[in-house]
Amino acid sequence: MGRTARALLIVAPIAAGTAVVAAKRRSGRSPSPRRTHVVTVHRPLSEIPGSLEELAKSVEISLAPAPGDRGTEISVRIPEGSPVTDAEVRRALRETRSLVEVGDVLLPSGPPTTEKTPLNRPLRTATEHGREGGLL
Amino acid sequence: MKALQWQGVNKLAVGTVPDPGLRNPGDVIVKVTRTVTCGSDLHLIGGYIPFMEKGDVLGHEFLGEVVEVGPDVKRHRVGDRVVVSSFISCGRCWYCDQELYSLCDNGNTNPAITETLWGYAPGGCFGYSHAMGGNAGSHAEYIRVPFADVGAFTVPDEVSDERALFASDSASTGWMGADLGGVKPGDVVAVWGAGAVGQMAARAAVLLGAERVIVIDRLGNRLDQVAKHIGAETLDYERADVAAELRERSGGRGPDVCIEAVGMEAHSPGAHFGYDQIKQQLRLQTDRPIAVREAIHACRKGGSVFVLGVYAGFVDKFPLGALMNKGLTVRGAQMHGQRYIPMLLERMAKGELTTEHLATHVMPLDQAPEGYRIFKEKEDNCVRAVFVP
Ligand SMILES: NC(=O)c1ccc[n+]([C@@H]2O[C@H](COP(=O)([O-])OP(=O)(O)OC[C@H]3O[C@@H](n4cnc5c(N)ncnc54)[C@H](O)[C@@H]3O)[C@@H](O)[C@H]2O)c1
Ligand SMILES: [Zn+2]
Ligand SMILES: [Zn+2]
Repeated sequence: MGRTARALLIVAPIAAGTAVVAAKRRSGRSPSPRRTHVVTVHRPLSEIPGSLEELAKSVEISLAPAPGDRGTEISVRIPEGSPVTDAEVRRALRETRSLVEVGDVLLPSGPPTTEKTPLNRPLRTATEHGREGGLL
Repeated sequence: MKALQWQGVNKLAVGTVPDPGLRNPGDVIVKVTRTVTCGSDLHLIGGYIPFMEKGDVLGHEFLGEVVEVGPDVKRHRVGDRVVVSSFISCGRCWYCDQELYSLCDNGNTNPAITETLWGYAPGGCFGYSHAMGGNAGSHAEYIRVPFADVGAFTVPDEVSDERALFASDSASTGWMGADLGGVKPGDVVAVWGAGAVGQMAARAAVLLGAERVIVIDRLGNRLDQVAKHIGAETLDYERADVAAELRERSGGRGPDVCIEAVGMEAHSPGAHFGYDQIKQQLRLQTDRPIAVREAIHACRKGGSVFVLGVYAGFVDKFPLGALMNKGLTVRGAQMHGQRYIPMLLERMAKGELTTEHLATHVMPLDQAPEGYRIFKEKEDNCVRAVFVP
């Protein structure tokens, strides 16, 4: 197996995941019933953080104290027919956690030092949506 | 500015890249004065961790001078001489609160990749692929350091650049292995690998009061360094039966704590090396866990095994039976540098921890590709190649 093929074997499932997210976003079909997305932020919260206010118009958000002094569990459920995607919710929750805990959201290094090549295309696609994918 | 860039599997070159800029208010820019090769880089260079893009700047163990400071930075000023933890941590999330800094929730801008691979995402690291945040590395004239109040530490005047450099990664990693591996006075500790990480783990075990510390490798010069600079015993795995030797040297009990500092490209004189290498090359397993297997087998009943070596994915023939039936504790981690660096700098100032001998090769950044070649081949008794940009 060549180096390219080897690298792709591992990167491919991740790139495929990203492609699925992108395709879902494009297709106008009504989405299948979706999971609830939950994160714990390491702070007590009594109201929905400002960074989720816009999203709150189209999704159901609930707060609950996390056990063991771990802060607050923020749950987001995307109702049937909502225009909001799972990817948008993941990004918003990750950014909100960082805003609440740190007051800021880490940006990648810059300016970039890399070159676009056909080999790194799947990886670039995955990292352009770095906070939108994953399991959250 | 000049920087060492990854150009493809086993291809490195020094090129010109844009100077880094402040991106978040908690950032500083550091003018790198010393930056060094790490065994972890070999896994990236060889393509075993396939999340590199052409042009990525390598390097995560470094020291330098602060030249620019973001508006939210409180602990640093222009002119500070700092050593920086290789992992990037916010200092404010639950994991940072527990001092599990490399598990920081807010330090990786690409959490999706590792969350998909491993279930949850650890934090970010300098120069360590896009899976760890794609942060530009330290083999360059300048580097941006995010969360500088948390991850950059002013070096006391008494500690030289040459010594402080290794607090950045290898000494904190080694210390973590001994500390979280639970080394106590009276313990027998075995360490696999006499690279900088294994040597620093052994020195930590000595300083934490272990009765006997035994370092295993096959490279004579590294084992000589262990005897001379670390104050530990040595064991050459090509000349001795490791399991039998460890049994004898621990009164038949087996080592209390086993620290693995070898990683996914482990070597072995035995038949399983060929087996593991072929499976790894065919991608039927991503890592070669030879030293981990040996550590689990050699460890005493109820003992502890700490995995410092880097692994990316899946391994074969993992001795789960030994782990379960002997009641072992097996743990691993990327380094929690912020937890240990201040203490390490104090010990360095007192002369308890010396590291200069690790820098067997010092050269200008222009020669970094050659430095990595020598380091990878362990040529000319190389332990670490240090670059001076
Ligand atoms: N956990 C962390 O945060 C962290 C930080 C730094 C490095 N690391 C990892 O630690 C490992 C060691 O790093 P290093 O810089 O010292 O690397 P290195 O390549 O300089 O040293 C590895 C040593 O292991 C020896 N070795 C190979 N096979 C062996 C075997 N079967 N038994 C005993 N020794 C064997 C080699 O001869 C070599 O001396 C690497 O995997 C690196 O990625 C982890
Ligand atoms: Zn390292
Ligand atoms: Zn954190």
